Amino acid sequence: MNAVALVKQVPDRNSAFRPAGDWIDESSLGYGINDYDRYAVEAALALKEAGHAAETVAVTAGPADAGQVLRSCLAMGVDRGVHLVTDRAHLADPFFVARALAGAVSGLDAGVVFAGLLAEDSGHGQVGGLVAGLLGFSFASAATGLQFRDGRLEAHRELEGGRIAVVELRLPAVVAVQTGINTPRYASLRGIMASRRKPVERVELAAPADGGGLRRLTLGRPERGASAEILPGSPQEAAAALVPRMRAGAGVSFPGDTA
Amino acid sequence: MSRRVLTLAERSESGVTDASYELIEAASRLAGGPDRVSAVLPVGDASEAEGLREVLPAGELLLVEGPAHASPTADGTAAAVLHAREASGAECVLLPHDPVGWDVAPLVAARLGTAAATAVSALSWRGDGLVARRSAFLGKFVQEVEAPGLPAVATVERGAFPAREPGPALSVRILPSPVGPGDLRSRLVEVRDAGAGGVDLTAADVVVAAGRGLGGPENLDIVHELAAALGGVVGASRAVTDAGWLPHELQIGSSGATVSPKLYVACAISGAIQHLVGMRGSRFVVAINKDPDAPIFGAADVGIVGDALEVIPLVTEAVRDSG
Ligand SMILES: Cc1cc2nc3c(=O)[nH]c(=O)nc-3n(C[C@H](O)[C@H](O)[C@H](O)COP(=O)(O)OP(=O)(O)OC[C@H]3O[C@@H](n4cnc5c(N)ncnc54)[C@H](O)[C@@H]3O)c2cc1C
Repeated sequence: MNAVALVKQVPDRNSAFRPAGDWIDESSLGYGINDYDRYAVEAALALKEAGHAAETVAVTAGPADAGQVLRSCLAMGVDRGVHLVTDRAHLADPFFVARALAGAVSGLDAGVVFAGLLAEDSGHGQVGGLVAGLLGFSFASAATGLQFRDGRLEAHRELEGGRIAVVELRLPAVVAVQTGINTPRYASLRGIMASRRKPVERVELAAPADGGGLRRLTLGRPERGASAEILPGSPQEAAAALVPRMRAGAGVSFPGDTA
Repeated sequence: MSRRVLTLAERSESGVTDASYELIEAASRLAGGPDRVSAVLPVGDASEAEGLREVLPAGELLLVEGPAHASPTADGTAAAVLHAREASGAECVLLPHDPVGWDVAPLVAARLGTAAATAVSALSWRGDGLVARRSAFLGKFVQEVEAPGLPAVATVERGAFPAREPGPALSVRILPSPVGPGDLRSRLVEVRDAGAGGVDLTAADVVVAAGRGLGGPENLDIVHELAAALGGVVGASRAVTDAGWLPHELQIGSSGATVSPKLYVACAISGAIQHLVGMRGSRFVVAINKDPDAPIFGAADVGIVGDALEVIPLVTEAVRDSG
Protein backbone atom coordinates (compact mmCIF):
# COMPACT_ATOMS: atom_id res chain seq x y z
CA MET A 1 0.00 0.00 0.00
CA ASN A 2 1.35 3.41 -0.98
CA ALA A 3 0.92 6.98 0.20
CA VAL A 4 0.11 9.44 -2.58
CA ALA A 5 0.26 13.24 -2.51
CA LEU A 6 -1.61 15.32 -5.09
CA VAL A 7 0.24 18.55 -5.76
CA LYS A 8 -0.36 21.62 -7.89
CA GLN A 9 1.93 24.22 -9.34
CA VAL A 10 0.61 27.72 -8.60
CA PRO A 11 1.88 31.25 -9.25
CA ASP A 12 4.17 32.67 -6.58
CA ARG A 13 2.07 34.20 -3.86
CA ASN A 14 4.04 37.42 -3.87
CA SER A 15 3.69 38.12 -7.58
CA ALA A 16 1.74 41.14 -8.72
CA PHE A 17 -1.37 39.54 -10.19
CA ARG A 18 -3.33 41.32 -12.90
CA PRO A 19 -6.66 40.08 -14.22
CA ALA A 20 -6.50 39.46 -17.98
CA GLY A 21 -9.40 38.00 -19.93
CA ASP A 22 -10.95 35.15 -17.98
CA TRP A 23 -7.89 34.65 -15.78
CA ILE A 24 -4.70 36.46 -14.75
CA ASP A 25 -1.85 37.69 -16.91
CA GLU A 26 0.56 34.76 -16.71
CA SER A 27 3.29 36.19 -18.90
CA SER A 28 5.79 37.08 -16.20
CA LEU A 29 5.01 34.97 -13.15
CA GLY A 30 7.16 32.67 -11.08
CA TYR A 31 5.65 29.36 -10.01
CA GLY A 32 6.00 27.02 -7.07
CA ILE A 33 4.19 24.34 -5.12
CA ASN A 34 0.79 25.23 -3.65
CA ASP A 35 1.34 25.91 0.06
CA TYR A 36 -1.40 23.51 1.23
CA ASP A 37 0.20 20.72 -0.81
CA ARG A 38 3.46 20.91 1.14
CA TYR A 39 1.46 19.66 4.10
CA ALA A 40 0.02 16.85 1.97
CA VAL A 41 3.52 15.78 0.96
CA GLU A 42 4.70 15.84 4.56
CA ALA A 43 1.71 13.73 5.61
CA ALA A 44 2.57 11.13 2.95
CA LEU A 45 6.22 11.03 4.03
CA ALA A 46 5.23 10.67 7.69
CA LEU A 47 2.88 7.80 6.84
CA LYS A 48 5.70 5.88 5.19
CA GLU A 49 8.12 6.65 8.01
CA ALA A 50 5.58 5.29 10.49
CA GLY A 51 5.58 2.03 8.54
CA HIS A 52 2.09 2.38 7.07
CA ALA A 53 3.07 2.86 3.44
CA ALA A 54 5.60 1.10 1.23
CA GLU A 55 6.24 3.95 -1.13
CA THR A 56 5.40 7.63 -1.51
CA VAL A 57 4.27 9.00 -4.85
CA ALA A 58 3.57 12.62 -5.83
CA VAL A 59 1.16 13.28 -8.70
CA THR A 60 0.56 16.53 -10.51
CA ALA A 61 -1.44 17.64 -13.53
CA GLY A 62 0.05 20.63 -15.27
CA PRO A 63 2.19 22.02 -18.08
CA ALA A 64 5.72 20.86 -18.83
CA ASP A 65 7.32 23.21 -16.31
CA ALA A 66 5.10 21.84 -13.52
CA GLY A 67 7.64 19.02 -13.32
CA GLN A 68 9.40 21.52 -11.06
CA VAL A 69 6.96 20.89 -8.21
CA LEU A 70 7.43 17.13 -8.51
CA ARG A 71 11.19 17.68 -8.25
CA SER A 72 10.66 19.64 -5.04
CA CYS A 73 8.54 16.77 -3.67
CA LEU A 74 11.25 14.26 -4.57
CA ALA A 75 13.81 16.49 -2.87
CA MET A 76 11.68 16.44 0.30
CA GLY A 77 11.91 12.65 0.21
CA VAL A 78 9.06 11.41 -1.98
CA ASP A 79 10.08 8.25 -3.86
CA ARG A 80 8.69 8.96 -7.31
CA GLY A 81 6.51 11.28 -9.33
CA VAL A 82 3.77 11.10 -11.92
CA HIS A 83 3.35 14.11 -14.20
CA LEU A 84 0.11 14.35 -16.15
CA VAL A 85 1.10 16.80 -18.83
CA THR A 86 -1.57 19.21 -19.99
CA ASP A 87 -1.95 22.88 -20.94
CA ARG A 88 -2.15 25.27 -18.03
CA ALA A 89 -5.49 26.49 -19.37
CA HIS A 90 -6.97 23.01 -18.97
CA LEU A 91 -6.48 23.28 -15.20
CA ALA A 92 -9.49 25.62 -15.24
CA ASP A 93 -11.87 22.69 -14.80
CA PRO A 94 -11.48 20.83 -11.50
CA PHE A 95 -13.47 17.93 -12.92
CA PHE A 96 -11.04 17.45 -15.80
CA VAL A 97 -8.11 17.61 -13.37
CA ALA A 98 -9.72 15.24 -10.87
CA ARG A 99 -10.59 12.70 -13.54
CA ALA A 100 -7.01 12.68 -14.77
CA LEU A 101 -5.64 12.40 -11.23
CA ALA A 102 -8.11 9.63 -10.37
CA GLY A 103 -6.95 7.70 -13.43
CA ALA A 104 -3.34 7.95 -12.28
CA VAL A 105 -4.13 7.17 -8.63
CA SER A 106 -6.06 4.04 -9.56
CA GLY A 107 -2.82 2.47 -10.79
CA LEU A 108 -0.76 3.36 -7.72
CA ASP A 109 -2.02 0.89 -5.07
CA ALA A 110 -2.91 3.90 -2.94
CA GLY A 111 -3.87 3.39 0.69
CA VAL A 112 -4.10 7.05 1.54
CA VAL A 113 -4.15 9.93 -0.93
CA PHE A 114 -3.34 13.34 0.52
CA ALA A 115 -4.42 16.55 -1.17
CA GLY A 116 -4.20 20.16 -0.06
CA LEU A 117 -7.53 21.58 1.12
CA LEU A 118 -7.44 24.13 -1.69
CA ALA A 119 -5.19 25.70 -4.28
CA GLU A 120 -4.12 29.25 -3.60
CA ASP A 121 -4.90 30.40 -7.14
CA SER A 122 -8.26 28.95 -8.21
CA GLY A 123 -9.36 28.00 -4.70
CA HIS A 124 -11.92 25.44 -5.85
CA GLY A 125 -11.11 23.30 -2.81
CA GLN A 126 -12.52 20.06 -4.14
CA VAL A 127 -10.05 18.15 -6.29
CA GLY A 128 -9.25 15.71 -3.47
CA GLY A 129 -12.93 15.10 -2.85
CA LEU A 130 -13.71 14.65 -6.53
CA VAL A 131 -10.94 12.05 -6.79
CA ALA A 132 -12.44 10.24 -3.78
CA GLY A 133 -15.90 10.40 -5.35
CA LEU A 134 -14.69 9.14 -8.71
CA LEU A 135 -12.75 6.25 -7.18
CA GLY A 136 -15.22 5.38 -4.42
CA PHE A 137 -12.60 6.11 -1.74
CA SER A 138 -13.42 7.47 1.71
CA PHE A 139 -13.00 11.20 2.12
CA ALA A 140 -12.32 13.77 4.81
CA SER A 141 -11.62 17.44 4.19
CA ALA A 142 -9.99 20.09 6.39
CA ALA A 143 -7.88 17.58 8.29
CA THR A 144 -5.71 19.00 11.07
CA GLY A 145 -4.66 15.69 12.59
CA LEU A 146 -4.22 12.03 11.61
CA GLN A 147 -3.91 8.79 13.47
CA PHE A 148 -3.46 5.32 12.08
CA ARG A 149 -4.68 2.28 13.91
CA ASP A 150 -5.72 -1.26 12.96
CA GLY A 151 -5.87 -0.58 9.23
CA ARG A 152 -8.14 2.38 9.84
CA LEU A 153 -7.35 5.99 9.57
CA GLU A 154 -8.64 8.50 12.07
CA ALA A 155 -8.76 12.05 10.80
CA HIS A 156 -9.37 15.15 12.90
CA ARG A 157 -11.43 17.63 10.93
CA GLU A 158 -11.45 21.31 11.75
CA LEU A 159 -15.02 22.54 12.19
CA GLU A 160 -16.14 26.08 12.85
CA GLY A 161 -16.35 27.54 16.33
CA GLY A 162 -13.19 25.85 17.58
CA ARG A 163 -14.52 22.33 17.35
CA ILE A 164 -12.93 19.19 15.98
CA ALA A 165 -14.72 16.20 14.43
CA VAL A 166 -12.94 12.87 14.76
CA VAL A 167 -13.84 10.59 11.85
CA GLU A 168 -12.78 7.07 11.12
CA LEU A 169 -12.12 6.26 7.47
CA ARG A 170 -11.91 2.93 5.74
CA LEU A 171 -9.01 2.56 3.36
CA PRO A 172 -8.35 3.51 0.68
CA ALA A 173 -9.08 7.11 1.60
CA VAL A 174 -8.47 10.63 0.37
CA VAL A 175 -7.64 13.24 3.01
CA ALA A 176 -7.62 16.95 2.14
CA VAL A 177 -5.27 18.56 4.62
CA GLN A 178 -5.44 21.96 6.25
CA THR A 179 -2.25 23.97 6.81
CA GLY A 180 -0.73 23.37 10.23
CA ILE A 181 -1.54 19.64 10.27
CA ASN A 182 2.21 19.04 10.45
CA THR A 183 5.45 20.89 9.88
CA PRO A 184 6.56 20.32 6.29
CA ARG A 185 10.25 19.51 6.08
CA TYR A 186 12.63 21.41 3.88
CA ALA A 187 14.65 19.60 1.26
CA SER A 188 18.15 18.80 2.47
CA LEU A 189 21.12 19.07 0.15
CA ARG A 190 21.29 15.29 0.20
CA GLY A 191 17.61 15.12 -0.66
CA ILE A 192 18.14 17.41 -3.60
CA MET A 193 21.04 15.31 -4.86
CA ALA A 194 19.09 12.08 -4.41
CA SER A 195 16.03 13.49 -6.17
CA ARG A 196 17.89 13.68 -9.45
CA ARG A 197 17.98 9.91 -9.64
CA LYS A 198 14.33 9.41 -8.73
CA PRO A 199 11.87 8.49 -11.49
CA VAL A 200 9.16 10.76 -12.85
CA GLU A 201 6.65 9.16 -15.18
CA ARG A 202 5.21 11.54 -17.75
CA VAL A 203 1.79 10.95 -19.23
CA GLU A 204 0.36 13.24 -21.93
CA LEU A 205 -3.29 13.99 -21.26
CA ALA A 206 -5.79 14.28 -24.07
CA ALA A 207 -7.48 17.69 -24.29
CA PRO A 208 -10.73 17.91 -22.32
CA ALA A 209 -13.89 16.95 -24.14
CA ASP A 210 -16.69 19.49 -24.49
CA GLY A 211 -18.91 20.08 -21.52
CA GLY A 212 -16.95 19.09 -18.45
CA GLY A 213 -17.40 20.54 -15.01
CA LEU A 214 -16.59 24.24 -14.95
CA ARG A 215 -15.61 26.94 -17.42
CA ARG A 216 -14.00 30.26 -16.61
CA LEU A 217 -15.97 33.31 -17.73
CA THR A 218 -14.48 36.38 -16.07
CA LEU A 219 -12.00 37.42 -13.40
CA GLY A 220 -11.84 40.84 -11.83
CA ARG A 221 -11.18 42.88 -8.76
CA PRO A 222 -13.97 42.83 -6.22
CA GLU A 223 -16.02 45.96 -5.83
CA ARG A 224 -15.15 47.30 -2.46
CA GLY A 225 -17.95 49.15 -0.74
CA ALA A 226 -16.14 51.46 1.61
CA SER A 227 -12.45 51.06 1.04
CA ALA A 228 -9.58 52.34 3.15
CA GLU A 229 -8.32 55.89 2.87
CA ILE A 230 -4.82 55.34 1.50
CA LEU A 231 -2.40 57.79 3.09
CA PRO A 232 -0.29 59.52 0.45
CA GLY A 233 3.28 60.70 0.52
CA SER A 234 6.55 59.21 1.67
CA PRO A 235 6.51 56.42 4.26
CA GLN A 236 7.48 59.03 6.90
CA GLU A 237 4.62 61.32 5.89
CA ALA A 238 2.13 58.46 5.80
CA ALA A 239 3.25 57.24 9.24
CA ALA A 240 2.93 60.74 10.68
CA ALA A 241 -0.53 61.19 9.15
CA LEU A 242 -1.64 57.83 10.52
CA VAL A 243 -1.20 58.60 14.20
CA PRO A 244 -3.89 61.28 14.65
CA ARG A 245 -6.33 59.21 12.57
CA MET A 246 -5.75 56.15 14.78
CA ARG A 247 -6.29 58.23 17.90
CA ALA A 248 -9.50 59.79 16.68
CA GLY A 249 -10.89 56.73 14.91
CA ALA A 250 -10.20 54.25 17.68
CA GLY A 251 -10.76 56.64 20.57
CA VAL A 252 -7.83 55.28 22.52
CA SER A 253 -4.87 56.86 24.22
CA PHE A 254 -1.41 55.39 23.97
CA PRO A 255 1.04 54.57 26.79
CA GLY A 256 3.37 57.44 25.87
CA ASP A 257 0.59 60.04 26.00
CA THR A 258 1.05 62.68 28.64
CA ALA A 259 -1.93 62.59 30.92
CA MET B 1 -38.49 28.16 -16.53
CA SER B 2 -39.41 26.32 -13.41
CA ARG B 3 -36.36 24.50 -12.28
CA ARG B 4 -36.18 23.12 -8.80
CA VAL B 5 -33.26 23.75 -6.48
CA LEU B 6 -32.24 21.47 -3.63
CA THR B 7 -30.58 22.70 -0.44
CA LEU B 8 -29.09 20.86 2.49
CA ALA B 9 -30.65 21.62 5.86
CA GLU B 10 -28.38 21.04 8.82
CA ARG B 11 -29.53 20.55 12.35
CA SER B 12 -28.20 22.65 15.18
CA GLU B 13 -28.86 22.44 18.90
CA SER B 14 -31.77 24.83 18.58
CA GLY B 15 -33.23 23.66 15.27
CA VAL B 16 -31.49 24.23 11.98
CA THR B 17 -28.37 26.29 11.31
CA ASP B 18 -28.44 29.90 10.07
CA ALA B 19 -26.60 28.68 6.98
CA SER B 20 -29.60 26.48 6.15
CA TYR B 21 -31.84 29.57 6.00
CA GLU B 22 -29.33 31.42 3.83
CA LEU B 23 -29.26 28.46 1.43
CA ILE B 24 -33.04 28.41 1.21
CA GLU B 25 -32.99 32.14 0.39
CA ALA B 26 -30.31 31.60 -2.29
CA ALA B 27 -32.27 28.68 -3.72
CA SER B 28 -35.53 30.58 -3.66
CA ARG B 29 -34.02 33.45 -5.68
CA LEU B 30 -32.46 31.05 -8.18
CA ALA B 31 -35.58 28.91 -8.54
CA GLY B 32 -37.93 31.90 -8.70
CA GLY B 33 -39.85 31.20 -5.51
CA PRO B 34 -39.67 29.16 -2.32
CA ASP B 35 -42.25 26.68 -3.61
CA ARG B 36 -39.66 25.37 -6.06
CA VAL B 37 -37.12 24.80 -3.32
CA SER B 38 -36.59 21.37 -1.84
CA ALA B 39 -34.65 21.00 1.38
CA VAL B 40 -33.10 17.68 2.33
CA LEU B 41 -32.55 16.71 5.94
CA PRO B 42 -30.85 13.36 6.56
CA VAL B 43 -32.24 11.81 9.76
CA GLY B 44 -31.72 8.60 11.69
CA ASP B 45 -35.44 8.58 12.43
CA ALA B 46 -38.13 10.91 11.09
CA SER B 47 -39.21 11.74 14.64
CA GLU B 48 -35.96 13.71 15.00
CA ALA B 49 -37.42 16.23 12.57
CA GLU B 50 -40.42 16.85 14.82
CA GLY B 51 -41.00 20.59 14.85
CA LEU B 52 -38.49 21.28 12.09
CA ARG B 53 -41.15 21.06 9.39
CA GLU B 54 -42.73 24.12 11.00
CA VAL B 55 -39.60 26.24 10.61
CA LEU B 56 -38.09 25.18 7.26
CA PRO B 57 -39.66 27.53 4.69
CA ALA B 58 -39.12 25.34 1.61
CA GLY B 59 -41.61 24.05 -0.94
CA GLU B 60 -40.89 20.55 0.20
CA LEU B 61 -38.91 19.06 3.01
CA LEU B 62 -37.34 15.72 2.15
CA LEU B 63 -36.43 13.61 5.16
CA VAL B 64 -33.99 10.94 4.06
CA GLU B 65 -34.41 8.46 6.86
CA GLY B 66 -32.26 5.59 8.00
CA PRO B 67 -29.79 4.51 10.67
CA ALA B 68 -26.91 5.51 8.40
CA HIS B 69 -27.84 9.13 9.12
CA ALA B 70 -28.01 8.91 12.90
CA SER B 71 -24.79 10.90 12.89
CA PRO B 72 -23.51 12.85 9.88
CA THR B 73 -20.71 11.56 7.64
CA ALA B 74 -19.35 12.77 4.32
CA ASP B 75 -20.49 9.78 2.31
CA GLY B 76 -23.76 9.34 4.22
CA THR B 77 -24.80 12.93 3.67
CA ALA B 78 -23.69 12.79 0.03
CA ALA B 79 -25.86 9.71 -0.52
CA ALA B 80 -28.85 11.44 1.08
CA VAL B 81 -28.36 14.55 -1.05
CA LEU B 82 -28.08 12.52 -4.26
CA HIS B 83 -31.20 10.53 -3.35
CA ALA B 84 -33.18 13.70 -2.62
CA ARG B 85 -31.94 15.28 -5.81
CA GLU B 86 -33.30 12.44 -7.83
CA ALA B 87 -36.58 12.38 -5.92
CA SER B 88 -37.08 16.12 -6.32
CA GLY B 89 -35.74 16.42 -9.86
CA ALA B 90 -33.73 19.46 -8.75
CA GLU B 91 -31.40 20.93 -11.38
CA CYS B 92 -29.09 22.52 -8.86
CA VAL B 93 -27.81 21.45 -5.45
CA LEU B 94 -26.77 24.16 -2.98
CA LEU B 95 -24.54 23.28 -0.05
CA PRO B 96 -22.89 25.50 2.56
CA HIS B 97 -19.31 26.65 1.91
CA ASP B 98 -18.11 25.29 5.22
CA PRO B 99 -16.56 22.06 6.49
CA VAL B 100 -19.80 20.18 5.75
CA GLY B 101 -19.95 21.44 2.17
CA TRP B 102 -16.24 20.79 1.58
CA ASP B 103 -16.83 17.15 2.53
CA VAL B 104 -20.10 16.61 0.72
CA ALA B 105 -20.04 18.83 -2.40
CA PRO B 106 -17.21 17.05 -4.26
CA LEU B 107 -18.68 13.61 -3.54
CA VAL B 108 -22.07 14.76 -4.87
CA ALA B 109 -20.51 16.51 -7.87
CA ALA B 110 -18.35 13.52 -8.80
CA ARG B 111 -21.41 11.30 -8.86
CA LEU B 112 -23.20 13.81 -11.10
CA GLY B 113 -20.19 13.91 -13.42
CA THR B 114 -19.32 17.53 -12.74
CA ALA B 115 -17.41 19.85 -10.44
CA ALA B 116 -18.95 22.16 -7.85
CA ALA B 117 -18.80 25.93 -8.08
CA THR B 118 -17.41 26.76 -4.64
CA ALA B 119 -17.19 29.88 -2.46
CA VAL B 120 -20.15 31.30 -4.36
CA SER B 121 -21.84 34.65 -3.69
CA ALA B 122 -24.28 34.93 -6.63
CA LEU B 123 -26.04 32.47 -8.92
CA SER B 124 -28.04 32.56 -12.14
CA TRP B 125 -29.14 30.23 -14.90
CA ARG B 126 -27.69 30.59 -18.33
CA GLY B 127 -29.31 28.41 -20.96
CA ASP B 128 -28.96 24.86 -19.74
CA GLY B 129 -26.23 25.75 -17.30
CA LEU B 130 -25.46 27.67 -14.16
CA VAL B 131 -23.34 30.80 -13.79
CA ALA B 132 -21.77 31.43 -10.39
CA ARG B 133 -19.85 34.35 -8.97
CA ARG B 134 -17.12 33.13 -6.62
CA SER B 135 -13.99 34.24 -4.92
CA ALA B 136 -10.56 33.22 -6.21
CA PHE B 137 -6.95 33.90 -5.22
CA LEU B 138 -7.90 33.83 -1.53
CA GLY B 139 -10.38 36.65 -1.94
CA LYS B 140 -8.22 38.93 -4.04
CA PHE B 141 -10.36 38.48 -7.15
CA VAL B 142 -13.93 37.58 -7.99
CA GLN B 143 -14.48 35.09 -10.73
CA GLU B 144 -17.47 34.06 -12.78
CA VAL B 145 -17.61 30.42 -13.74
CA GLU B 146 -20.11 28.48 -15.75
CA ALA B 147 -21.23 24.93 -15.17
CA PRO B 148 -22.32 24.20 -18.74
CA GLY B 149 -24.61 21.31 -17.87
CA LEU B 150 -27.32 20.56 -15.34
CA PRO B 151 -27.65 19.35 -12.64
CA ALA B 152 -25.09 21.69 -11.13
CA VAL B 153 -23.63 21.86 -7.63
CA ALA B 154 -22.53 24.94 -5.70
CA THR B 155 -21.29 25.79 -2.22
CA VAL B 156 -22.56 29.14 -1.02
CA GLU B 157 -20.44 31.51 1.08
CA ARG B 158 -21.83 32.38 4.51
CA GLY B 159 -23.48 35.79 4.56
CA ALA B 160 -23.75 36.08 0.77
CA PHE B 161 -27.53 35.81 1.06
CA PRO B 162 -29.75 36.94 3.95
CA ALA B 163 -31.26 34.19 6.06
CA ARG B 164 -34.85 33.47 5.07
CA GLU B 165 -37.40 33.89 7.83
CA PRO B 166 -38.40 30.58 9.42
CA GLY B 167 -41.78 29.27 8.28
CA PRO B 168 -43.47 25.96 7.57
CA ALA B 169 -42.51 23.66 4.72
CA LEU B 170 -45.37 23.37 2.21
CA SER B 171 -45.06 19.59 2.14
CA VAL B 172 -43.01 16.86 3.74
CA ARG B 173 -41.87 13.59 2.24
CA ILE B 174 -40.07 10.81 4.01
CA LEU B 175 -37.65 8.89 1.79
CA PRO B 176 -36.08 5.67 3.05
CA SER B 177 -32.32 6.08 2.80
CA PRO B 178 -30.61 4.24 -0.04
CA VAL B 179 -27.66 3.43 2.25
CA GLY B 180 -27.32 1.44 5.44
CA PRO B 181 -24.66 1.96 8.10
CA GLY B 182 -22.62 -0.90 6.62
CA ASP B 183 -22.40 0.88 3.28
CA LEU B 184 -20.62 3.87 4.74
CA ARG B 185 -16.88 4.21 4.48
CA SER B 186 -16.62 6.81 7.21
CA ARG B 187 -17.87 7.03 10.77
CA LEU B 188 -18.15 9.99 13.08
CA VAL B 189 -16.33 9.08 16.29
CA GLU B 190 -16.89 12.31 18.21
CA VAL B 191 -17.09 16.08 18.04
CA ARG B 192 -15.15 17.96 20.66
CA ASP B 193 -13.71 21.35 21.51
CA ALA B 194 -10.26 21.94 20.12
CA GLY B 195 -9.32 23.53 23.45
CA ALA B 196 -8.94 27.25 23.91
CA GLY B 197 -5.63 29.03 24.19
CA GLY B 198 -4.18 30.82 27.20
CA VAL B 199 -3.76 34.35 25.84
CA ASP B 200 -6.85 36.49 25.87
CA LEU B 201 -6.68 38.50 22.71
CA THR B 202 -10.35 39.29 22.99
CA ALA B 203 -9.93 41.63 25.96
CA ALA B 204 -7.32 43.89 24.34
CA ASP B 205 -8.17 47.41 23.19
CA VAL B 206 -5.40 47.38 20.61
CA VAL B 207 -4.30 44.41 18.51
CA VAL B 208 -1.32 44.56 16.16
CA ALA B 209 -1.52 41.54 13.89
CA ALA B 210 1.45 40.04 12.08
CA GLY B 211 1.15 38.50 8.61
CA ARG B 212 3.27 36.27 6.42
CA GLY B 213 4.47 39.26 4.39
CA LEU B 214 6.79 40.15 7.27
CA GLY B 215 9.02 37.46 5.86
CA GLY B 216 10.09 35.54 8.94
CA PRO B 217 10.14 35.35 12.73
CA GLU B 218 13.32 37.43 12.77
CA ASN B 219 11.26 40.43 11.63
CA LEU B 220 8.62 40.29 14.34
CA ASP B 221 10.44 42.57 16.80
CA ILE B 222 9.10 45.62 15.01
CA VAL B 223 5.54 44.31 15.48
CA HIS B 224 6.10 43.78 19.21
CA GLU B 225 7.54 47.29 19.45
CA LEU B 226 4.57 48.85 17.69
CA ALA B 227 2.19 46.91 19.95
CA ALA B 228 4.08 48.18 23.00
CA ALA B 229 3.97 51.77 21.78
CA LEU B 230 0.22 51.47 21.22
CA GLY B 231 -0.39 49.68 24.53
CA GLY B 232 -1.69 46.65 22.69
CA VAL B 233 -1.07 42.95 22.16
CA VAL B 234 0.29 41.03 19.20
CA GLY B 235 -1.94 38.75 17.17
CA ALA B 236 -1.31 36.88 13.93
CA SER B 237 -2.71 35.41 10.76
CA ARG B 238 -2.91 31.68 10.39
CA ALA B 239 -0.02 31.66 7.93
CA VAL B 240 2.17 33.06 10.71
CA THR B 241 1.07 30.64 13.43
CA ASP B 242 1.14 27.59 11.12
CA ALA B 243 4.70 28.51 10.22
CA GLY B 244 5.53 28.55 13.91
CA TRP B 245 6.58 32.20 13.99
CA LEU B 246 4.08 32.86 16.78
CA PRO B 247 2.04 30.49 19.00
CA HIS B 248 -1.33 29.21 17.78
CA GLU B 249 -3.19 30.99 20.57
CA LEU B 250 -2.45 34.26 18.82
CA GLN B 251 -4.22 33.29 15.60
CA ILE B 252 -7.11 35.54 14.63
CA GLY B 253 -9.84 34.39 12.27
CA SER B 254 -12.48 31.79 11.56
CA SER B 255 -10.35 29.01 13.03
CA GLY B 256 -8.80 31.17 15.72
CA ALA B 257 -9.85 34.00 17.99
CA THR B 258 -12.52 36.55 17.16
CA VAL B 259 -11.46 39.99 18.30
CA SER B 260 -13.19 43.35 18.33
CA PRO B 261 -10.65 45.83 19.66
CA LYS B 262 -10.87 49.58 19.33
CA LEU B 263 -7.80 49.54 17.10
CA TYR B 264 -6.62 46.75 14.81
CA VAL B 265 -3.39 47.14 12.88
CA ALA B 266 -2.91 44.50 10.16
CA CYS B 267 0.76 44.25 9.19
CA ALA B 268 1.51 42.46 5.90
CA ILE B 269 -1.74 40.49 6.08
CA SER B 270 -3.54 39.89 2.78
CA GLY B 271 -7.05 39.85 4.27
CA ALA B 272 -8.39 36.42 3.32
CA ILE B 273 -12.05 36.00 4.27
CA GLN B 274 -11.13 33.57 7.05
CA HIS B 275 -8.97 36.25 8.61
CA LEU B 276 -11.49 39.04 8.12
CA VAL B 277 -14.29 37.26 9.96
CA GLY B 278 -12.09 37.25 13.05
CA MET B 279 -11.47 41.01 13.15
CA ARG B 280 -14.44 42.58 11.41
CA GLY B 281 -15.89 43.84 14.66
CA SER B 282 -12.89 46.12 15.28
CA ARG B 283 -13.76 49.80 15.66
CA PHE B 284 -10.86 51.20 13.63
CA VAL B 285 -8.70 49.18 11.26
CA VAL B 286 -5.32 50.12 9.86
CA ALA B 287 -3.71 48.06 7.09
CA ILE B 288 -0.07 48.16 6.06
CA ASN B 289 0.59 46.17 2.89
CA LYS B 290 2.77 46.57 -0.17
CA ASP B 291 0.04 45.34 -2.51
CA PRO B 292 -2.62 48.01 -3.22
CA ASP B 293 -4.98 45.20 -4.34
CA ALA B 294 -4.76 43.30 -1.05
CA PRO B 295 -8.32 42.58 0.17
CA ILE B 296 -7.38 43.85 3.65
CA PHE B 297 -7.72 47.41 2.31
CA GLY B 298 -11.40 46.68 1.69
CA ALA B 299 -11.82 45.97 5.39
CA ALA B 300 -9.67 48.84 6.68
CA ASP B 301 -10.40 52.46 7.55
CA VAL B 302 -6.92 53.71 6.78
CA GLY B 303 -4.14 52.10 4.80
CA ILE B 304 -0.50 52.60 3.98
CA VAL B 305 0.73 50.98 0.80
CA GLY B 306 4.37 50.16 1.38
CA ASP B 307 6.99 47.83 2.75
CA ALA B 308 5.89 46.88 6.26
CA LEU B 309 9.49 46.42 7.37
CA GLU B 310 10.09 50.08 6.61
CA VAL B 311 6.70 51.51 7.57
CA ILE B 312 6.11 49.80 10.93
CA PRO B 313 9.17 51.30 12.70
CA LEU B 314 8.19 54.71 11.33
CA VAL B 315 4.70 54.36 12.76
CA THR B 316 6.15 53.27 16.12
CA GLU B 317 8.37 56.32 16.12
CA ALA B 318 5.51 58.63 15.14
CA VAL B 319 3.34 57.22 17.95
CA ARG B 320 6.12 57.75 20.51
CA ASP B 321 6.77 61.27 19.26
CA SER B 322 3.11 62.20 19.42
CA GLY B 323 2.66 61.49 23.13
C1 LIG C 1 -10.80 26.58 6.58
C2 LIG C 1 -9.81 27.68 6.67
C3 LIG C 1 -9.68 28.35 7.86
C4 LIG C 1 -8.77 29.38 7.97
N1 LIG C 1 -8.68 30.06 9.15
C5 LIG C 1 -7.89 31.15 9.22
C6 LIG C 1 -7.84 31.95 10.41
O1 LIG C 1 -8.51 31.67 11.42
N2 LIG C 1 -7.05 33.04 10.41
C7 LIG C 1 -6.29 33.40 9.33
O2 LIG C 1 -5.57 34.42 9.41
N3 LIG C 1 -6.30 32.66 8.21
C8 LIG C 1 -7.07 31.54 8.13
N4 LIG C 1 -7.06 30.79 6.98
C9 LIG C 1 -6.03 31.05 5.96
C10 LIG C 1 -6.35 32.21 5.07
O3 LIG C 1 -7.10 31.75 3.97
C11 LIG C 1 -5.04 32.85 4.53
O4 LIG C 1 -4.27 31.87 3.89
C12 LIG C 1 -4.20 33.50 5.63
O5 LIG C 1 -5.00 34.38 6.40
C13 LIG C 1 -3.06 34.26 4.99
O6 LIG C 1 -2.26 34.84 5.97
P1 LIG C 1 -1.44 36.16 5.61
O7 LIG C 1 -2.38 37.23 5.22
O8 LIG C 1 -0.53 36.43 6.75
O9 LIG C 1 -0.52 35.69 4.41
P2 LIG C 1 -0.62 35.99 2.81
O10 LIG C 1 -1.97 35.71 2.31
O11 LIG C 1 0.53 35.29 2.26
O12 LIG C 1 -0.44 37.56 2.74
C14 LIG C 1 0.75 38.21 2.94
C15 LIG C 1 0.52 39.67 2.59
O13 LIG C 1 1.68 40.40 2.89
C16 LIG C 1 1.92 41.33 1.87
N5 LIG C 1 3.35 41.60 1.89
C17 LIG C 1 4.37 40.81 1.49
N6 LIG C 1 5.55 41.40 1.75
C18 LIG C 1 5.27 42.59 2.30
C19 LIG C 1 6.06 43.66 2.79
N7 LIG C 1 7.39 43.63 2.77
N8 LIG C 1 5.44 44.75 3.30
C20 LIG C 1 4.07 44.81 3.34
N9 LIG C 1 3.29 43.82 2.90
C21 LIG C 1 3.88 42.72 2.40
C22 LIG C 1 1.44 40.69 0.61
O14 LIG C 1 1.08 41.69 -0.33
C23 LIG C 1 0.23 39.92 1.11
O15 LIG C 1 -0.95 40.68 1.00
C24 LIG C 1 -7.96 29.75 6.86
C25 LIG C 1 -8.11 29.07 5.65
C26 LIG C 1 -9.03 28.05 5.54
C27 LIG C 1 -9.20 27.38 4.23
